Amino acid sequence: MTRLFRAFGAPLASVILLLSGVWILGLIAAPQLIMIEQSLWRMERPEGSAEISVQIDGLYNRLDVIGLDRSVAESETDSAKRETELAALAAEEAAIKAEIAVLEEKESTPVKVYTLDNFGQMGSAHLAIFAKTIVASLAVSAIALVVCYPIAYAVAKLETPRTAAAIMLALVIPYAINELLRIFAWQMILNNNGPANALLGLLGFDPVPFLDSGAGVFVAMVYAYILFMVFPLYNVLETLDSNQVEAARDLGASTWQIHRRVVIPHARPGIAVGCIMTFMLSAGSYAVPYIMTRGTAAPWFTQLIYNRFFEATNWNVGAAYALSLLAVCTVFIFLMMRLLKVSLKDIAK
Amino acid sequence: MEIQMTGQTTGKAIELEQAAVHFGSFQAVHPTNLRIEPGEFFSILGPSGCGKTTLLRLLSGFLDPTGGDVRIGGKSMVGIDPSVRPTALIFQNLALFPLMTIWENVAFGLEMRGWTKAKRRARAEELLATVALSDHAGKMPAQLSGGQKQRVAIARALAVEPSVLLLDEPLSALDLKLRQHMRAELKQIQARTGITFVYITHDQGEALTMSNRVAVMNRGRIMQTGTPDDVYDRPDSAFVATFVGEMNAVDGKVVTALDRVALVETPLGRFRAANPKGLGPGDEAILFVRPEKMRLLNAKEDEDNSIAARVTRRDMEGAWSTVVAHAEGRELRLHLPHSGRDTPPSGEVTLGFSADAGVILPKGEMSDD
Amino acid sequence: MTRAVSGSTFVLRLYMALFFAYMFLPLGVMVAAGVNDYSPPSITVWQGFTLRWFAEFWGDARMWLGLANSLLIAAAVMALALPMGLSGALLLSQLGRRSAGLLYTVMVSPLLTPGIIIGISTVIFWRNLDVTAGLFTAILAQSAFIASYAMLMFMARLQRQDLTLEEAALDLGASRARAFRRITLPFLKPTIMTAAVIAFLQSFENYNTTIFSIGGNHTLVTEIGARMRFGISPMINALGILFIVVTVICAVAWAALRRREYQLESVK
Repeated sequence: MTRLFRAFGAPLASVILLLSGVWILGLIAAPQLIMIEQSLWRMERPEGSAEISVQIDGLYNRLDVIGLDRSVAESETDSAKRETELAALAAEEAAIKAEIAVLEEKESTPVKVYTLDNFGQMGSAHLAIFAKTIVASLAVSAIALVVCYPIAYAVAKLETPRTAAAIMLALVIPYAINELLRIFAWQMILNNNGPANALLGLLGFDPVPFLDSGAGVFVAMVYAYILFMVFPLYNVLETLDSNQVEAARDLGASTWQIHRRVVIPHARPGIAVGCIMTFMLSAGSYAVPYIMTRGTAAPWFTQLIYNRFFEATNWNVGAAYALSLLAVCTVFIFLMMRLLKVSLKDIAK
Repeated sequence: MEIQMTGQTTGKAIELEQAAVHFGSFQAVHPTNLRIEPGEFFSILGPSGCGKTTLLRLLSGFLDPTGGDVRIGGKSMVGIDPSVRPTALIFQNLALFPLMTIWENVAFGLEMRGWTKAKRRARAEELLATVALSDHAGKMPAQLSGGQKQRVAIARALAVEPSVLLLDEPLSALDLKLRQHMRAELKQIQARTGITFVYITHDQGEALTMSNRVAVMNRGRIMQTGTPDDVYDRPDSAFVATFVGEMNAVDGKVVTALDRVALVETPLGRFRAANPKGLGPGDEAILFVRPEKMRLLNAKEDEDNSIAARVTRRDMEGAWSTVVAHAEGRELRLHLPHSGRDTPPSGEVTLGFSADAGVILPKGEMSDD
Repeated sequence: MTRAVSGSTFVLRLYMALFFAYMFLPLGVMVAAGVNDYSPPSITVWQGFTLRWFAEFWGDARMWLGLANSLLIAAAVMALALPMGLSGALLLSQLGRRSAGLLYTVMVSPLLTPGIIIGISTVIFWRNLDVTAGLFTAILAQSAFIASYAMLMFMARLQRQDLTLEEAALDLGASRARAFRRITLPFLKPTIMTAAVIAFLQSFENYNTTIFSIGGNHTLVTEIGARMRFGISPMINALGILFIVVTVICAVAWAALRRREYQLESVK
């Protein structure tokens, strides 16, 4: 800290600390912590509420009795006596009503209780969706890796630098075009009367309900996020010394052996970044399932989260769901870093 | 340092027959004939871009000739993958695998040949012992010094027991002392293993000290092939004369020519010198004289050729000194052995050289370094 | 030229061509439907060329409000995320290895967190302070991760800085703040420009974080998303064409700039 003040002088160092603090604490740490906290409690009826309701029932009975007493009192002929009795009953009635109000308030005001129940709310249906989301996201990552590796290798190592630059620039265009548009293109293609089904029709097949079956979600997801694999892979493979490949070949390695022993080990950071990005984007994608299902196919986990917050308005359960998703992503990141022996510095290039 | 080869590998002969390479319209190597003898230490010397690396890639198999044939041990290598050729290549930047340990690097070729881990580890240890790196087997390449990496690269190449070792300027990254040490080491390894070495370099010192024979290349052509002495003492082109070693050069025209000697007319006077290319009277020619073959003549001395000049500078080089003199506006250099007792020459002097110290060659491209 | 790859080169080339077709054909479908005089958007039924979907967009007030919101949010995000990212990078540059490591992890974590989580956590946090979700929470949620991009870019640039320049300025009598203003800031200027463009684009194009944090309001992109779901009007395709045109122009401009920069570097 003293180094900071020495390097920039007190006024500037203070500004730096203030801005960093707002960002790290105010925008990153505090919201995350509050979300975690929110997932850990819920409002419950207070303890002893059963006894209170018995008590309230008793008091309501008492009110009925007073009603009877009043009708008796009203038939009293002596007006003075009648007035005093009625006044006494009215006073008693008011007192009981006040007591009921207090008790009812006490009975119905929920109290904040810390519990892990929010996570247990998922139930088997939601748990299945959660599992499906994870498995599908893993599959998206795996497909992206398999499809993109040859592309990245071919561009980085077999093309001239000029051609490689042109190819990568061309790929920047679909990459930079808004995610929604990339998804929408596929919604059109896979629509019941879209070109995919038109083509199938020409071949004599019945139309396939891609969108209603949920298959469309997967197809669009691969398309939307595949380029997040190409660029990290290309960036690492570009730094591979071609002599390494030639040396391995000269020493007798086959194409497969060259990739297994030399190219893939070199590409580990890129593979890690690509897999983490595609997995994280797929598992956390709201746009793809939202647009590609039209509400007909089974929802994606992100849609469940959205519903908890903005439709069922149970924020505590919603926070628990969101936290589960975050936990899965975090575990995946650590797993990839462990498996591929890369550090966070390698990942955020 | 004793390199034990397990198999019966010996050096193999290399033959190029009209081998040529062009990239599009660019002729990288003109049709070339060359024979390298089994077990020879052969250097290819030339400036950068002369085609020597292309020639090496032709031998290693990363490139196929666009014409002609390449044979190793009598077998044509055209279409044979680098991974199955009996050659091993040592790269200019060594190309050690950075993510493998030293022993894994050395054993890589054996791994590719399906050796078991225990066997290849044992073999790697043996090879590392011969290059005095036993203690470093488990380290990563980045932890070694330049000279150590060099020796790992050699051990890695030798592990596959090649018949031909191809070296692409592997010493260029080392500092002077280490480079000289490694020259001796390479020469020793070559002598012990009996493998054919083909050594690519632009450093004439390396080529002359290590090689049995040297080929000097320029613009995709081999200009001259011969022993280091041949190339240095008997250059047969203006390019070789100026690329290998230092030369004084003067333009002129042949006046008379005998069998071996000719008289050439230059702006500095008429000189007698060897005429290996048999130039005739009236031919444009260049006279070359090595600085160490120039002498300072004293007043009474007579010599085949003499030039009046004026000393303008003297550079102390250690074992000798270079005297720079000017005659008719041209610079002449001579090397004098340094005894530490003589007074350095100055002022007007007479320089001389014997008829067999000078050589007259046809006009042609000269090296500019 | 090298024989060894030429056999597989053909297969790889073919594969690459297929990949490019895969990348670009869907966009072509969308573009075609944007100028097809048929609704809902389609290319299987061709009714002739039209520009009327562009006109329809022109008259759509909700879209224009969304665009205004998008621009407002992007401007605010740039004003917030760039200084925060720069501060973060400067702070890291002056910390010891260990504390820098921890802080760095926190600073890049938003990039590795699903966007919806950033949106949700921001909304929860501010509701506890009785601030309902809206443009304000969307700005903060976006800034949280866009500042991470900015921080990484500034860090990369700072690592290439020649520290002796600043020392020379101090040696010549400049104060710390002045040396920063005269030496470091000008050195960072190209990165500030690039980071500003990136921040703008990231904010403008963002969907996931925004939809979870903007409450009842909308941006251009969230509105597009809402209309896409039922794909009723080719107006969305027309908008898509506009997005593609702008993207291509930006990409080409960026490439030209990079090239010029590269040439300037190589001249030096």
